[in-house]
Amino acid sequence: MIKRVEINYRGIFQKTLAKRIGGDIVMIAARMGQVGFSNGRYSDAPERNGIPCKYFAFVSPDLSEEELEAECGAKLDIDEANISVVLDDTMVKGVEPWAWHGVRPINEKVVPYGYLLIVSRRRPEELVRFMARKPYPYYLAILEGEASFAGLWVYRDDLTHERVLGALAALDPQLLSIEAVKGYLWDKTHEEHRVQAAQKAYESVRHNVHEVTPLQGIDWPYEIPKLPKWHEFPEGVVVKAVPREFHLGPKGQSRNQLFKRGTTKSQRPVVRFDLCTKCTLCWLECPDQCFDPTPDGTYDVDYEYCVGCGKCAEVCPVQECIVMVDELAFEDNRSPWEHWKRDPEGYVRWAEEKKGTHRVLPNVVTGTGQRVVEVEPVPAGGKPKPAARAGA
Amino acid sequence: MAVAQPVGVYEREDLLTGCQAVAEGIRLANVDVIAAYPIRPYTEVMDAISKIIADGKLVAEYIVADSEHSQFEIVKHAASVGARAFAGSSGTGWMYGFEALVVTATDRLPVLFLVGNRALDDPGAFGVEHNDALAIRDMGWLLCWVATAQEALEHVLLGYRIAEDREVRMPMALAMDGAFLTHSQHIVRIPSQEAVNRFLPPFDLGERRLHPDNPVSIAPQVNEDWVMEIRRQNWEAARRARGVIATAYEEFNQVFGQRYRPPYSFEEFLTDDAEVVLIGMGTVAMPARTAVRRLREQGHRVGYVNLRWFRPFPTEELRESLRRFRAVGVIDRDFAHGAPDDGGVLLHEVRSCLYPVRERPAVVNFITGLGGRDVSIQDAIRMYEITQEAARKDRLDGFVTWVGVRE
Repeated sequence: MIKRVEINYRGIFQKTLAKRIGGDIVMIAARMGQVGFSNGRYSDAPERNGIPCKYFAFVSPDLSEEELEAECGAKLDIDEANISVVLDDTMVKGVEPWAWHGVRPINEKVVPYGYLLIVSRRRPEELVRFMARKPYPYYLAILEGEASFAGLWVYRDDLTHERVLGALAALDPQLLSIEAVKGYLWDKTHEEHRVQAAQKAYESVRHNVHEVTPLQGIDWPYEIPKLPKWHEFPEGVVVKAVPREFHLGPKGQSRNQLFKRGTTKSQRPVVRFDLCTKCTLCWLECPDQCFDPTPDGTYDVDYEYCVGCGKCAEVCPVQECIVMVDELAFEDNRSPWEHWKRDPEGYVRWAEEKKGTHRVLPNVVTGTGQRVVEVEPVPAGGKPKPAARAGA
Repeated sequence: MAVAQPVGVYEREDLLTGCQAVAEGIRLANVDVIAAYPIRPYTEVMDAISKIIADGKLVAEYIVADSEHSQFEIVKHAASVGARAFAGSSGTGWMYGFEALVVTATDRLPVLFLVGNRALDDPGAFGVEHNDALAIRDMGWLLCWVATAQEALEHVLLGYRIAEDREVRMPMALAMDGAFLTHSQHIVRIPSQEAVNRFLPPFDLGERRLHPDNPVSIAPQVNEDWVMEIRRQNWEAARRARGVIATAYEEFNQVFGQRYRPPYSFEEFLTDDAEVVLIGMGTVAMPARTAVRRLREQGHRVGYVNLRWFRPFPTEELRESLRRFRAVGVIDRDFAHGAPDDGGVLLHEVRSCLYPVRERPAVVNFITGLGGRDVSIQDAIRMYEITQEAARKDRLDGFVTWVGVRE
């Protein structure tokens, strides 16, 4: 018997976290007399910030190490998972690691009555409404918490790692028993708060497991590409490029339809077009050319291509004009500029509702965590004011 | 060689070194981009081409690079926009640009390269050894040796014809022995431009050509989801190249008279009734064929096989040819230390080629002429004698002899 655990994480920001979870599953399973091993999907490297990636851990009570590796090792993806861990809940919108993989459902690999364990502060229905319908029932388990983001080579020691191990013990005691998890954490660190974090997660997750029926979820809107045979595509490693086109207005710049990368983002920029001073900085600085010039001199955002890096919000010189907002607050990728043109006041109301009053300062890759501040909204018709700079 | 030529296909004769003959071929092929970086013995071709351009006989971009790596990258990129391109090198210079050589093949860009064979340093040596060109053998290249200046000129034209063929589109290394061919002068018949134009069509990269009107992306990151299919495509191109090579020689013969005989990829000399043959590549053909003539005067039934195309290897034809003999002596002007039986590179290709044959000839191996050392007629006669002995005694199969080493 083999238990397969898949850990979906955001590239760079959660790499060390995912690797530690995978490795510790092996170590704890070994304490229980089981055989395990862990690997990362190497094809996700070199990772890019936020790109959906995977780590795996495999555990067996009865197979030899070689047999387990023969079944599960040297594989770049798995066919099924007993438990799929999701370290950032915005990945429920789908994951697109490479162009030819398409946008895939986060629950794609979960087996019947398997578990999808998501780190989230949301209610189950707020997550399921983005997820693909599956032909069989499975369980959604929620580990209460914020997504833990760190930087490259850094690890944010915020107990997410210990809490995920405790949660796994709650879902499948044969995979990891809570005693083994706690014993391992204690022996490794001699720090009681780590043991307690696992224990608390173990207790809370047991009461936060929800069956998802085949009636729940959405018909997946994305096509999963089928790769061609060797004689079915051009020779010479040549790919037709996107012809250059441009017109003023939404989606006025030609873009690659095959690789949108929108599932990379955990936040998206919300723009107050009424405050925009047309300085062009968002359009110039966006690393993915997501801003489309419009006839009135402001810049529309193509959210299908936005990876949520936050650069636009960082460079925007106007207070409250571009603000990064949690991706799960949004149902679609419609043009915000068209919304604003159609209904200026309604748009500002909508934007402020999405933004709320708490601001997470741009996620600069330092590994030191995020700063949250409270702000006064700028009303419709308000005058643009200079933005407060981080650290100023 | 005295065969009838159609009138008018050759416009004049000139005394040319192997390198100068290649330069004449470059002129006649109307090459668009030449990238150069000096290293002996290749350097002479770069001198010759620059003179041709300075004399107004060829309009081309002539770029002197800062290293072989840049030199090879320049022609790779030039080919991707549809330019007919030429570069070359020798010995360690060739090796220095190896990264660029590998990608030129995987990107399937049909650039022609001259490899003036030179021993790999250290120790320093200018003379011929085949290890430099042979290093490219597994990388998806066409690899061909010529033995005379006339062949060198003609194989520039044949090379572009084959490499640029829609069914092939692989880079081509035209190898010639350093000094012995690059720097020896022969009277060469130079084809007329009109005849060359009848043989060699303009280069057309078609839908793969990088151009503002045809934006394409070349060689993206593809990983395990595509690499195997792309290698499979490249394998197919290398296999198709065998047929295109034969077609190209036939077309060449139609324009220039019966210059080359089937199976083209190699050439047999006095083998019809031979019991024993030597096989080699490059200028070693001269002492070997001379030895054949002298040994035949004494009644020995010996012949010589001059292998021209090393990649793609002419597997079927060579297998059918060599199986007729009682023993085959393989001449390696290279080394492959630690290889099976400690033989050279060509030994293993030939033995592998013969393996499916039930009644195989004995195959023996000679390592000779390294670092530019002469291979004399006497050396060749000795190689025949050892091969004849192998024909008599099976136990010599796989036997390796160093010929010409002080011992």
